[in-house]
Amino acid sequence: MSTLHIDGVAKSFGGTTALHEVSLHVGDGEFVTLLGPSGCGKTTLMRIIAGITQPDRGSIRIDDRAIHALPPERRNIGLVFQSYALFPHMTVAANVGFGLKMRGIPRAQVAARVAAALDLVDLGALADRHPRALSGGQQQRVALARAVVIEPDVLLFDEPLSNLDAKLRDQLRDDLKILQRRLGITAIYVTHDQAEAMALADRILVMKDGRIVEEGAPVALYRQPRTRFAAEFLGQTNVIPVHLEAGQPLMPWDMVGFARTGIADRHVSLRPEDIAMTPDAEGPGEVRGVIFLGASVECRVAIGGVELRVRQSGSGVAIPEIGAPVRLAARIEPHPLAEGVHSALSVGDA
Amino acid sequence: MIGGFAYRAAAAILILPAGGYLALFFGLPLLLAFLGGFGLFTRGAETGFTLEHYRVLFGTQAYRDGLWFSTYLAIVPTLVSLSLSLPLAVALARTHPGQKLFNMLYKVPLVVPGIVAAFIVMTMFDRGGLAARALAPIGIDLPKLVRDQWAVGVIIATAWKAVPFMTLIIGGSLGAINRDILAAARTLGAGPWATFVRIQVPLALPGITAAFLLTFIGGMGAYAVPNLLGPVYPLPLSVHMYVNAFERNNWGLVSAMGTVLSLISIMVLLAYYRATRSMRTAYGGEAR
Repeated sequence: MSTLHIDGVAKSFGGTTALHEVSLHVGDGEFVTLLGPSGCGKTTLMRIIAGITQPDRGSIRIDDRAIHALPPERRNIGLVFQSYALFPHMTVAANVGFGLKMRGIPRAQVAARVAAALDLVDLGALADRHPRALSGGQQQRVALARAVVIEPDVLLFDEPLSNLDAKLRDQLRDDLKILQRRLGITAIYVTHDQAEAMALADRILVMKDGRIVEEGAPVALYRQPRTRFAAEFLGQTNVIPVHLEAGQPLMPWDMVGFARTGIADRHVSLRPEDIAMTPDAEGPGEVRGVIFLGASVECRVAIGGVELRVRQSGSGVAIPEIGAPVRLAARIEPHPLAEGVHSALSVGDA
Repeated sequence: MIGGFAYRAAAAILILPAGGYLALFFGLPLLLAFLGGFGLFTRGAETGFTLEHYRVLFGTQAYRDGLWFSTYLAIVPTLVSLSLSLPLAVALARTHPGQKLFNMLYKVPLVVPGIVAAFIVMTMFDRGGLAARALAPIGIDLPKLVRDQWAVGVIIATAWKAVPFMTLIIGGSLGAINRDILAAARTLGAGPWATFVRIQVPLALPGITAAFLLTFIGGMGAYAVPNLLGPVYPLPLSVHMYVNAFERNNWGLVSAMGTVLSLISIMVLLAYYRATRSMRTAYGGEAR
């Protein structure tokens, strides 16, 4: 039963600020994902939690225990690395047993717990192998077993699936989710892969330039992003400028944009899959580009001075000709973006 | 398919430049030294097979002691240097203020010739040397450190030269260890010492072994430093070789001594390869 409290943690390297006072609370058994582009500070935050990097200021607690001044070996935090970081000179069993051995747990008990942990990741048969004899996926499962066998208060994942090929990544991602649920460990998962974040997390924190810019459950964050950065980083979206006419917010093609929000909003987000496209000799849109992606067809459509991405899926979707006139309609009410919009995504100006 | 003979002939021709070079400049002198020890092809003497040189070598107290002393001068300074350079290499691997300067300074002894190092030690530690004169006013009387029975002066001079050399090699080995591996050990509960003993040393072992052996072999054949700073008795075999060659013109005995010194070095080398082979199987792709 552990909750993690991070308060005002900041870190600079030389003249560069990696983290601006970040605060974050993770509930017991919660799976939180830090999502952001490389260089956003997510790995730095993770290393600070693990004790590998020292923060300039701020505090970290697990329940009521302050850990920010403790060396890594006394924090009881499990860490799974992108590079696996297995000990190459030790067998799989010795790797998994290392943490228990360091805790002075009797040999017989170590053996039993190592065996149980290896069964958990389906690697019981490979206990006597060395890491080099294992595939990348197997190595990462060993690393996972090694991290959970010590029963950490908090389990940290630093882009653990980034070195694996796509198919294996999806499979291991599902396994990881099941395992975390089963063990009920409080977990923080760092990734730059938005699909991974949405598939795994109870809550996603979007990071940018050393700050958490937005957070929320995957569904809410995807469907109702507050910031343009989150809207564009999670999946693809169209950020569309809105103009007011007689107090009515209008989309560039003079469709009534949305009803529910204040007139302060000047941009909306509309996902490519939320736009319906039908051929119409009258326009007002024109197909500028077509990409066939197998499961879906993605079109770029110029309309009212902007260019929108439209995605249609299913095997029945027609592949439009470039230059074909089309009509667009929003399937849902476009979602207003509150702030952080400095430049409109507009091809009319370009 | 190329015929077996043509293939083998082509292989032999291709190997000839490298293999021939080794045979000519490495194999032949060793072979001549080996044969010379048995009285064959001996320089400046009639040749004929004899075991006399080995009988003299192993039958003379001074030579037997010399052989042990040479081995002592190989092992002890190497161990002393290792015990200093291993922690130094670990310390240098960490980031600390003044890193660049220190990284440069510790290598200075590398560019100082051994004979100069010997004279530095003599100036510092001989009776009436700088260290003795500096310590005398505060009542500390230095023991005999130059030409002493335990060859402390030789050990100091050799270690002074060997520490930066070993630190350089071991530091490279330590630096090649993925930092995530060290961080993983720490998060799993290993303190800095346990991480050093259980992770860093085993993974840097190839470098540590190489540094150890190179210093060891250098010590086996060391001549100038023990001759200047070592005791009057025993003399290392290297000094006996000089005396027998240039003062007694007994090249047969010199060959026998050289052969024995080489054999000891080769035995140590074989042990090294054995050790690294088992390490390679243990570390697999991660071995360096």
